[in-house]
Amino acid sequence: MICSPPVRLVPPSLCVLALCAGPASAHTDAAATAAGALQGGVPRVEATLLSGLRRVSSGETFPVGVLLKMAPGWHVYWRNPGEAGLASEVSWTAPGLDIGPLQWPVPAVLHSPDGSITSYGYPGEVVLFAEARSGALAGRAVRLAALVDVLVCEVQCIPATLSLERELGVAPEPAVDGQATALLDAARTRVPVDARAADVELAPVRPPGLVAGEAFSTELLASDDEGRPVALAARDVFIPDRMAGLSSLVVESLPLAAGRLRVAGKLAPEAAAGPFALRGVLRLAGASERAVQVDVPLGSIARAGRLLPQTSARGPGLGWALVFAFLGGVVLNLMPCVFPVLALKAYGFVRTVQAGGGRTAGHSLAYTVGIAGTMLVLASGVLVLRAAGRAVGWGFQFQEPLFVAGLASLMVAFALNLFGVFRVGAAGAGLGDVVDGARGAWRSAGEGALAVVLATPCTAPLLGAALGFAFAAPAWVVMAVFLLVALGLALPFCALVLVPGLAAWLPRPGAWMERMRVLLGFALLGTGAWLVSVLGSLAGVQGMVRLLVFLLAVGGAAWVVGSWQDTRRSGAAAAAAAVLLAGVGAATLRFDLTTGPPAAAAWSPEAVAAELRAGRPVFVDFTADWCLTCKFNEHTVLSRPPVLEAVRATRTRVLVADWTRPDPRIAVELAARGRAGIPLYLVFSPHRPGAPEVLPELLTEGRVVDALQRATREMSAGLSPVPPTTEEARP
Amino acid sequence: MKRTLSVLAAVSSLLWALPAAAAPAEVGQPAPGFALKDESGAQHSLAQYRGKVVVLEWTNPECPFVQRHYASRTMQKTLAALGGKPLVWLAIDSTSTNTPEKSSAWKKEQGFGYPVLQDPSGAVGHAYGAKTTPHMFVIDEQGVIRYAGAIDDDPRGRSSAPTNYVRQAVEAVETGKAVPATTSVPYGCSVKYKGNG
Repeated sequence: MICSPPVRLVPPSLCVLALCAGPASAHTDAAATAAGALQGGVPRVEATLLSGLRRVSSGETFPVGVLLKMAPGWHVYWRNPGEAGLASEVSWTAPGLDIGPLQWPVPAVLHSPDGSITSYGYPGEVVLFAEARSGALAGRAVRLAALVDVLVCEVQCIPATLSLERELGVAPEPAVDGQATALLDAARTRVPVDARAADVELAPVRPPGLVAGEAFSTELLASDDEGRPVALAARDVFIPDRMAGLSSLVVESLPLAAGRLRVAGKLAPEAAAGPFALRGVLRLAGASERAVQVDVPLGSIARAGRLLPQTSARGPGLGWALVFAFLGGVVLNLMPCVFPVLALKAYGFVRTVQAGGGRTAGHSLAYTVGIAGTMLVLASGVLVLRAAGRAVGWGFQFQEPLFVAGLASLMVAFALNLFGVFRVGAAGAGLGDVVDGARGAWRSAGEGALAVVLATPCTAPLLGAALGFAFAAPAWVVMAVFLLVALGLALPFCALVLVPGLAAWLPRPGAWMERMRVLLGFALLGTGAWLVSVLGSLAGVQGMVRLLVFLLAVGGAAWVVGSWQDTRRSGAAAAAAAVLLAGVGAATLRFDLTTGPPAAAAWSPEAVAAELRAGRPVFVDFTADWCLTCKFNEHTVLSRPPVLEAVRATRTRVLVADWTRPDPRIAVELAARGRAGIPLYLVFSPHRPGAPEVLPELLTEGRVVDALQRATREMSAGLSPVPPTTEEARP
Repeated sequence: MKRTLSVLAAVSSLLWALPAAAAPAEVGQPAPGFALKDESGAQHSLAQYRGKVVVLEWTNPECPFVQRHYASRTMQKTLAALGGKPLVWLAIDSTSTNTPEKSSAWKKEQGFGYPVLQDPSGAVGHAYGAKTTPHMFVIDEQGVIRYAGAIDDDPRGRSSAPTNYVRQAVEAVETGKAVPATTSVPYGCSVKYKGNG
């Protein structure tokens, strides 16, 4: 009898009372019922106040509750209404009684007709109750009042506030209300029991990585006290409570394994850091419809700790970011954008060793200071722009045409200096001779600064992750990461000084150095040619021509300065050169971004979604004309026959996200993937549209082909569960 | 290249218009584009409001939560309080049984000026993952969603000074500050979408 639902237990007398609609009038049993949510004059909900005891004595514990009866097809909501609706509320007023928290029977899972909105509630009937305890009672009667606030919905929703009140007699011996007790007892059997009391434990098979604003996924196993899997209900297996910091949650039970369910969710961007637990009702299999209340610790929420999204779901902290920043800085030395400047530095270094190794330490120090200082200026720039609400990324300065033009001019001037067209410094004959003086130290610092500036468009492997971490971190972390990158970049030259005997391995100076000097000049002109092409994509052919004319003026000015350098007219020559530069500069250095060609932004989130809906895998190439690593990948891997063949065979759609010019959508997408810069390569599978595979910054043909084939295989594998090991590896 | 791009854009927007179970819109992500007619037949697309802050309000005049907010003029007051800068306020009705006539009558009765976009197929509602009426979205000048959720923190209408999430989000976006609460759990009636089949 007790196990059957309360629907069949409603005594006829209560049903009659329930029809007495209208405001509650005190002091009679009839006031214990009310009806509300009128639709065309017909009430859609009726409420009855229940007490397990008709007469109360001091120090008794007994249940009190509210029976809610809904019209057919109508429902009220659980304590977590789900994606729509409003939680039901019962507030008690009962002087002399201490009333505990409201007890909620297991709700039904309700779906909107189109299936897009899930809510939790009670169709038909429900008894919401609480345990009451009487204190030392005096007088003839105690007043029990309940204010019920519910939203009653079918297709329409009608709010109802119902006021219920009755008196309970006070007597030395309590008297049980049999009908009410039967209803309350039946409701109690439908309230989930505490998981520990039921010897059921729900625990994650492996704790997921929890990062504010990001998705997580984990598998949970329900087991008994001996570790055996517990059979779960066939459907609606988990009904979640409302959890702070959670923006969405999807629960599916894995049909093949007993006691297993998969939970995937997304944390709100402002989720508070700290422990996070999954709370809700777990429904067990069995005729009695058992359910347990669970509170499963899933781990600790990290804020913005978005390091290495492709290899670790846990988001290692600051320590790893600093390690990767340092290693990334070391690798930057080998990147094509910095290499010419470093070769130049190496040349100067050999000269210094030749001149007497004692001063190398000073120059290495100056070089390191130059790098570190420039890095910190760059970090400050990032912080200022970020504070101003601008979306910035690594290499953002290459989106500014005047900056690119200035850098190209510097390259040309440097090259002409190496060719011997003019000299830097008051006396001496060339580059190598000034390294000894105080100006030499300045020059070393300047070379450090130049190396940093040129390094930014090359995101080295390892560096992408560290910078992605830094760009979302507090100011001091940004500074620390940039400083470590600087130290990594400076390492090769520091090592030459710090490791005794290493400098002896440098080649002996000789006539080859003069040839080397000219050769380096050509390397710098090569860097200049690349910068001209960057400007071309920023400001079009017009802009490129303007820059080339200005570079011609730079050459002319260098010649004027060099020709009269050692004469009495050197001052006048410098002035003439300055006038030439200023004049030509004013005429040419005006770049209009809008005159350039349209950015090849074939990528858009909508395009990705559309292709995935059409069942095609998608390869997204985040690139920019100033990103040499991107260009390197495009020429050596992405345009190679095996990759093109794989793209054809897998019917993959390739979309290009061009970041040559600022684009907030791309900046936002990079940030969402935990990156601050490019390159970034994503492979989307239609089977898992929300979780693309992130490829490394330096591609290989095999890696790309594998990823494309994986995306297709997952598709043909259909809905079969993905092995947890591969899924766990991604956030 | 230009032509390929425009063809691609056309194809993708065509596919986007089909009702499909796409990932719902998210804060920090670009807002899904749309083009809908309002109650008077005028066309509104999200693209045409690029460069302005846009507020989307999912609505349904038959929902008591919407009725409560219009009785206390919550939306009109919010719009008036944000009057300083150009702001676009678009109500969207994804109720399957709604008609332009119903929207016009309601607009006249309540006396507000902003358009009520007609989405009886529910395509735009589904693209945004709109669950309740009201359900609010704030989109910044670059077309990125900056807030999604409830209009305020007072589902039961009991507070004398509720926190208006939309107002604080728009003010933050306009002044270039971080939005204090980028999401909240929306409350209200479920959106009465067209059923399957």
